[in-house]
Amino acid sequence: MLLEIEDLRGGYGSGDVVKGITCQADAGEILCVLGPNGCGKTTLFRLLLGMLPATSGEVRLDGEATGGLEPKKRAKLAAYIPQNHATVFSYTVLELVVMGRAPHFSAMGAPGVRDRDLAVRALEKLGIAHLADKPYPALSGGQRQLVLIARAICQSAKILIMDEPAANLDYANRQLLMDVAAELARKGYCLVMSTHSPDNPFSVGHKVLMMKEGRLAAFGAPEAVITGETLEEVYGIPMDVVSLEDRFGVKRTLCLPVKAPGSSRNRKEEGHG
Amino acid sequence: MMRDDKTAQKGKETESGRYQRSVMPVLSLLFVCTVLFSFWVGYYPLTPGEVVKAFFFRFGYQGAVSDQAVTIFWSIRLPRILSAVLIGSALSVAGSVYQGMFRNPLVSPDILGVSSGASLGAAFAILNGVSGWRIQLAAFTGGILAVAFSYLISRKSAHSQTLSLVLTGSMIMALCNSGVTMIKYMSDPNDVLQQITFWLMGSLAKANMASVIWSLGPVLLGLAVILALRWRLNLLTLEDEEAQSLGVNVRRLRIVFIVASTLVSAAAVCLGGLIGWVGLMVPHMARALVGADYKRLIPACGLMGAAYLLLMDDLARSLLALEIPIGVVTSFMGAPFFVYLIIKRKDG
Repeated sequence: MLLEIEDLRGGYGSGDVVKGITCQADAGEILCVLGPNGCGKTTLFRLLLGMLPATSGEVRLDGEATGGLEPKKRAKLAAYIPQNHATVFSYTVLELVVMGRAPHFSAMGAPGVRDRDLAVRALEKLGIAHLADKPYPALSGGQRQLVLIARAICQSAKILIMDEPAANLDYANRQLLMDVAAELARKGYCLVMSTHSPDNPFSVGHKVLMMKEGRLAAFGAPEAVITGETLEEVYGIPMDVVSLEDRFGVKRTLCLPVKAPGSSRNRKEEGHG
Repeated sequence: MMRDDKTAQKGKETESGRYQRSVMPVLSLLFVCTVLFSFWVGYYPLTPGEVVKAFFFRFGYQGAVSDQAVTIFWSIRLPRILSAVLIGSALSVAGSVYQGMFRNPLVSPDILGVSSGASLGAAFAILNGVSGWRIQLAAFTGGILAVAFSYLISRKSAHSQTLSLVLTGSMIMALCNSGVTMIKYMSDPNDVLQQITFWLMGSLAKANMASVIWSLGPVLLGLAVILALRWRLNLLTLEDEEAQSLGVNVRRLRIVFIVASTLVSAAAVCLGGLIGWVGLMVPHMARALVGADYKRLIPACGLMGAAYLLLMDDLARSLLALEIPIGVVTSFMGAPFFVYLIIKRKDG
């Protein structure tokens, strides 16, 4: 198992935000993390990446307990792909991607030929080698996201952790990103991604972790976990899970928020609503 | 270095890569020319030939060179040029380090209060009737202490480290500046006040070999550390969490760079007083030439900063019949440049 999380708890000074999460994901799998805003997804990722210490429980990356793991060693096991952002300075794409090699040489080192080759190869893998010399801040959101994925690949970590990679992307780029994620999984990477669209796991996910208020609401295969009941429990609104065939006869599953005709709002009334 | 040479041999070399490799030799040549030019500028111009002869005179050369040329070379021009080189490269390198660390291209090296602290130290020393190298020592200590306080207080803050450093830095700066004002107010206007004002003005007119040698240590030490670790500065320009995920100990790396650039800029302030804008302008010009990667940016900043300040000092010496304080010249050049940056450029 590449990623094992066992009864993980942790948070900031004021108390645990993640309250007992257990799940696993292996090479070739995509683990989608679902849940409303503030359910602890980001905190969970911070715990996975060692940016926050766990109060109890354990994370094992490729069998190694991360408790006292050195930052460099951890960085060789798990890479973080932030939401596409702008850098303040005009780095070229290649300069930014080669930064992924940071854990592989000493503090006084700088990337050499081999590192630059790996960076070019990572760009080729994602089909964006032609962008190598372009200034990163001038790219579109979708291109930037691909560049950040290339950097993670260049980092040579097998576990890729993506915080809402589809946020801020238009529809076509979102699809492209999901295709890239699926392809990386086929190549043996283990992907962990948080997402706001509960349909996503049906097309790309192998496993789903549903969180509510820091607790584990459900974990398992998408078909088993994503049902009208669990969605309603987690998001607090009535939802239907619908299956249909697209024009190629492929079975697709969609999640739809529903409301009774005539009612004005579909959010579950919660006392003061 | 060896790894670099291998890149040069590779066929897959990019257009921009080749261009950037040719920039460094050009900058070095420019620097050497500026040095020779600066020996020539002045009431008694020294030609490059005289410069070489006067230099070797000290080491037993017995050729045709006037005593006057030797004296001017060794006790006037050389200390002054060395000061300009040290200060220019120190401030520019420290400026580029701080800009990267604070992810803000409009930051200058005194953001954590090093210049204000040094000013307070110097003013305090002058008020107490101290003279010579002791003023410089007091200024150096003041600069280091100001940054140390900024750093230590920022650690108590719950904001992100860069934000709290900026906040505590400006607080320390304000405190030191009012301290300087208080000392100026209390001091004798005919003697001490004049001395303080002149010290703070930023001038290379009093440059001498002793202070150059004295500041050489901290400047070279700081520059060596920055030069050795310079590629890692790229990682500090990313968000803290992103850098951490790349295996970087962000806090540790940041304090190393703060210590190194504080050493460098405190020594520069001691040598020449307050010379503004250099640390802000030069990194921008260097970025426009060699790009954002700190691996090339730091050496480029060092060379360009030295050349820039030499030229500014040449202007200060030759523009009017009497010498203009160099701090005034750099501000006249820097302030319009800053406005240009704000209006024109979107990024570094």
